[in-house]
Amino acid sequence: MKLDVTEALRYLGVRGEPDPDLAAQVARTAEELTNRLTPRYTYQVFDLTRAGDGLRLAGTEVVLTGSTAARMLESCRRAALLACTLGARFDRMLLAAQARDMAQAVVLDACGGAWVEAGCDAAQAEIAARFPGQYLTDRFSPGYGDLPLTLQSGLCALLDAPRRLGLYVTESQMLTPVKSVTALVGIADTPQPARVRGCRFCAMNKTCTLSREGEACGR
Amino acid sequence: MEDKIWKEGLTLLDGAMGTMLQRGGALPPGTRPELAALVCPEALTGIHRAYVEAGSRIVYANTFGCNAKKLAGSGHGVEEVVAASVAAARAAAGREALTALDVGPLGELLEPLGSLTFEGAYDLFREVMEAGARAGADLIVIETMTDLYEAKAALLAAKEATDLPVFVTMTFEESGRTFTGCTVSAAARTLEGLGADAIGLNCSLGPDQLAPLVEELAGATTLPIIAKPNAGLPDPLDGHYPMGPEEFARALVRLVELGAGIVGGCCGTTPAYIAAARAALAGKVPGRRTYRPGSFLCTPTRCLELGGARVIGERINPTGKKRLRQALQEGDLDYVLDLAVQQEDAGADILDVNVGCPGVDEAALLPQVVKKLQAAVSLPLQIDSADPAALEAALRVYNGKAAVNSVNGDPASLAAVLPIVKRYGAAVVGLCLDEKGLPQTAEERLIIARRILDAALAQGIPREDVWIDCLTMTVSAQQEQARETLRAVRTVREELGLQTVLGVSNISFGLPRRPLMNQTFLSAALACGLTLPILDPNRAEMMDAVRAFRVLSGEDGDCGAYVERFAQADQAPAPATPAEQAAPTLREAVCRGLDGEAGRLAREALATIEPLALVEGELIPALDWVGTAYETGRLYLPQLLSAARAAQSVFEAVADHLAKTGAAPVKKGGLAVATVRGDIHDIGKNIAKTVMENYGYQVLDLGRDVPPERVAEEAERRGLKLVGLSALMTTTLPAMAETVRLLKALPRPPAVFVAGAVVTEDYARSIGADYYAKDAKASAGIAREVLG
Repeated sequence: MKLDVTEALRYLGVRGEPDPDLAAQVARTAEELTNRLTPRYTYQVFDLTRAGDGLRLAGTEVVLTGSTAARMLESCRRAALLACTLGARFDRMLLAAQARDMAQAVVLDACGGAWVEAGCDAAQAEIAARFPGQYLTDRFSPGYGDLPLTLQSGLCALLDAPRRLGLYVTESQMLTPVKSVTALVGIADTPQPARVRGCRFCAMNKTCTLSREGEACGR
Repeated sequence: MEDKIWKEGLTLLDGAMGTMLQRGGALPPGTRPELAALVCPEALTGIHRAYVEAGSRIVYANTFGCNAKKLAGSGHGVEEVVAASVAAARAAAGREALTALDVGPLGELLEPLGSLTFEGAYDLFREVMEAGARAGADLIVIETMTDLYEAKAALLAAKEATDLPVFVTMTFEESGRTFTGCTVSAAARTLEGLGADAIGLNCSLGPDQLAPLVEELAGATTLPIIAKPNAGLPDPLDGHYPMGPEEFARALVRLVELGAGIVGGCCGTTPAYIAAARAALAGKVPGRRTYRPGSFLCTPTRCLELGGARVIGERINPTGKKRLRQALQEGDLDYVLDLAVQQEDAGADILDVNVGCPGVDEAALLPQVVKKLQAAVSLPLQIDSADPAALEAALRVYNGKAAVNSVNGDPASLAAVLPIVKRYGAAVVGLCLDEKGLPQTAEERLIIARRILDAALAQGIPREDVWIDCLTMTVSAQQEQARETLRAVRTVREELGLQTVLGVSNISFGLPRRPLMNQTFLSAALACGLTLPILDPNRAEMMDAVRAFRVLSGEDGDCGAYVERFAQADQAPAPATPAEQAAPTLREAVCRGLDGEAGRLAREALATIEPLALVEGELIPALDWVGTAYETGRLYLPQLLSAARAAQSVFEAVADHLAKTGAAPVKKGGLAVATVRGDIHDIGKNIAKTVMENYGYQVLDLGRDVPPERVAEEAERRGLKLVGLSALMTTTLPAMAETVRLLKALPRPPAVFVAGAVVTEDYARSIGADYYAKDAKASAGIAREVLG
């Protein structure tokens, strides 16, 4: 697992060449964070079945409604549900940092965001390795597009996330601890476009005709 | 069935319930497992019976998730489900086994990380405990806890609502910490102090991984130890547990050898595992315990062992501190937190917390301060109050094992304070005085110390938790008393072997060169056996004396910490003189976020220019430059906030200057911020607050997850002119709209600005807010427009 410092800088709004002091602060914070704690994740793979207004994770009560799920999973018969969190210890670090130096807290917050994404990447790589010869879609989460946020509690319950990860959902469907992600990843027999992360990450970026014309499929 | 069978020998618990319910197929798919006693009571009793026949002497009723929170929407109440579940277990237990009310976590994070309050958790647990006692449970098992705070809420509820014995087991990762970072030792010392009857570990790990944790636990508690591991570590994909009954039982034997006396199985185990355990454990007794008595204070993440020189920071005490008194009267807890953080960073080991001053309801404020501090500071606290009700309120919400300051030899004081100390498992400072006053000789003080110790022991407080303060008198007034105090410290340490406390700086009142006197007295007292000096850790000469003493006493092995601290400091090149480096101007110092420099330059400047001229002529232009640079993408948020911090030190210099000259403060008030109900992630709001404060606004922080009614009430009561609201999620926008509606319905409605990841200009307008703040900088602009 590797924390992408460029990603953390991007969360801070930095585009292009960062100020060297800021870059050093981010690098220092990233190192401290990654030494202190590691993202925890869990996942489970479900068959997808058509349900009235969406796709059902087979054998469960969870139905993924809306056009986002339909489009992202259009060529998938299965999907992995994953959850990843930095855990409550990150929240404590962030509270301690906020009590001392807000600037440092903001940097830590950005590094935390990049670190939990690194955890999701690791989970996704593990899933990919379990399905050789198959293709994964980008991961997408409740709140992305029209995938309802209200799915959070159902998804966390399916993964037994409170017990396995110490990850909880509040009544307002907010994930706690603060740096936590739930996501779906489609598993398909055919190559999948990078609809969320952009063309740079797409398996088809060498051959894509849309991209050659300056377009993208993800919009 | 005899009572308290677990007190000696070996007691076998049961195995998993969930595994068995799934396997049996009695529970229709989609049914909540909590409802098994209503849906298929015979099957449930059958499972319990299988465990009893396999050898379980205690069975856990199927009540793990039977709390009002988890049962919401099931159509069934706690009383009904608990009664049926306990009955199903009792039917199987007969006279051969005891029935435990099984109480699991509530399924939501507690404050400060989640939105469930400690008091709310307590109420939910209390309902379950009362139902369990009424249903005839023989004991209560609180299990699978990962948050010590939640375990404490449950344990208090169990003890206060019932007379039943209470077991508590927590769930650890292989690292020896729970998901929330709690260590085995911190949990052990806290839960034993709170009166648990047995403590231990369950779930998450297999018996092999549990062994080192059982060993740690055995060294940290005198209570019987529980171990209820899983059948190994599950396969992440299919959830299959790898260990068979025989292998599991063999591994369990090892845990018993390490001291566990109450054992069973958690996820993946069945009656076959319990039967195998019974066979493997036949004739065995728990291994000899390795408990080592010692004096400790704990936060969930750390146990602080006493004995060497441990510094108690004295700064959070309003006596003689005008600014802190004002902050406490106004409820400005951020200022208190600031004092705490400074002391932690300066090397304090424990923080004394005293909020007693006129106009303050201590019993209400002290617990609030404790909650505020323990969220962001990792040091244990010493709760300091003359009001027993305030002590109790604060100890109740403290997460860990705290100290109490203080009790004295007066029977009335002993009777009022010691029962509270015992109930919450705290340590206590005993002052060597009584109703007749402060005795003049060391011998008389020792008599009082003994009286306090005896009274504490009679209450069941262990002697390790009794600390004695022999009291420092002012040497300029009673010169011979310095010697008596030192003699008393030595006697208490040598004859009673107790921890010793002294407020050090009292010694020097009325003398010149107080730091010299304080430092010398501190060194003398440490040499006489003072273990807990109370002092200002921000005074380098005091902390340095402690560091030097730790070398002389041998505590700082190989002089490591001493050398690390001072060798580099001595080798560092002398700071460049102003002539050698281009000295920044005040404006530059603010723009570059050099806070120490900015404060120093401001103090210099205030010798010649008016405070207002400094703020308007130097500070605001600097902040404007930073703001523009931020808006145009030349500076980023951390740099904006660093500049804000530097501006803050300029404001502090101005405030100090005004306090000296007696002029009115320049801070502009009338502004509050809050994160709306349901929204618990508040870094955005905190950023905005920091930036606004550093533009000179006094910002009242109402906190996060704030109900609309509370925002409106505060706005009305305080006559606020501007309120800022933040919401992070689409699900919490309705709460924002409701808050705006209530604010606008007030007789004198404040201006309202809204912000947050999902808020837009259009949305702000649609809910009747006056402004939309796209970022923290924009909030400061709005404040300027509304408040001037």
